[in-house]
Amino acid sequence: MAGAAEERGPGPAEGEQRQEQHVACQVFPERLAEGKPGQGFLSSFFNNNRKCQLMLLKTLETSSRMLGRALRSPLGLSTPIQENLCAITNQRVYRPLLEQDPYVKLLLDAMKHSGCAVNKERHFSCEDCNGNVSGGFDASTSQIVLCQNNIRNQSHMNRVVTHELIHAFDHCRAHVNWFTDLRHLACSEVRAANLSGDCSLVNEIFRLHFGLKQHHQTCVRDRAILSILAVRNISKEVAQKAVDEVFESCFNDHEPFGRIPHNKTYARYAHRDFQNRDRYYANI
Amino acid sequence: MADGGGWRPPRPCEAYRAEWKLCRSARHFLHHYYVHGERPACEQWRRDLASCREWEERRSAEAQRSLCESERARVQATRKHALVWALRQSPPADWHLPLPQEEKDQ
Repeated sequence: MAGAAEERGPGPAEGEQRQEQHVACQVFPERLAEGKPGQGFLSSFFNNNRKCQLMLLKTLETSSRMLGRALRSPLGLSTPIQENLCAITNQRVYRPLLEQDPYVKLLLDAMKHSGCAVNKERHFSCEDCNGNVSGGFDASTSQIVLCQNNIRNQSHMNRVVTHELIHAFDHCRAHVNWFTDLRHLACSEVRAANLSGDCSLVNEIFRLHFGLKQHHQTCVRDRAILSILAVRNISKEVAQKAVDEVFESCFNDHEPFGRIPHNKTYARYAHRDFQNRDRYYANI
Repeated sequence: MADGGGWRPPRPCEAYRAEWKLCRSARHFLHHYYVHGERPACEQWRRDLASCREWEERRSAEAQRSLCESERARVQATRKHALVWALRQSPPADWHLPLPQEEKDQ
């Protein structure tokens, strides 16, 4: 289980077929108006919305905090039984069950450090989306949109949140001209495809894209182009040209990870390095 | 580089050991080949681990110099490519502002 938990798993086969076409788009050209689901789909809307909210909560909430709340006695004191439970559940074998996704944890910490602390209610929205998009970052409102009708499992939610947080991180740390400079959009999409786990070997195999030597780069290019085409009314050739122009620079920009996080182990190491950055830069 | 009096290795020695161990793993070989199309180079992590331990045991100036040089080279490697965009001096002004009123009313 620990091995399986290391990879950013694509989810069950049924969901994977949908994921084949799913792209995370940067800015929605048309967000469906909130609060106006068709009467016939009201029940489905609220069910999907609740599922989305719960999965998002799981992605964002630090599990140790959740465990702490669960174990706290009414008097706010820990008992010997509770202390033993903590000791047991801190063991390595239980970590995958309790750990907040390390990709998300690092991104949230990095954004807070950059002055963009993320608030779940303000910066996330679960909505129905057109087409096969999984999510998007709306730069005009600084909000991440999660497509509740297209995100089916927790693993997928974690990956979509990571992808969109990378866009949000870029928005926070740089003057990104999302709407007026195609190269900026292309750069953020290259980074998001590269660093979110979208193009992991396992995910590509599940998409029936077989390739090994340098295939990661092919995947990043292709998915960046797909994401651009999802939000811009341009030809594939124009999108490809923009990706080609920025690829060298943006593929090698690994902030805030400092490396390409191939799985959760790399993401944990990246988070460890992020927490150590003061010592690091003071001693080189 | 910080003054020798207050200096310590940029990373704990255990971090160098963990990086070296990860670099030499079969999984990392696969990931690296999948991304870069070549085998990874792990020797520098081994040298850094040795330097770190040497500094811990003997406070060797040569070990300190070697570590600093190695880490500065790593930082330089990350700054090799010019950024596509200009970095901000401060976060976006509207990041923390409430959502537009018409959305809230809906």
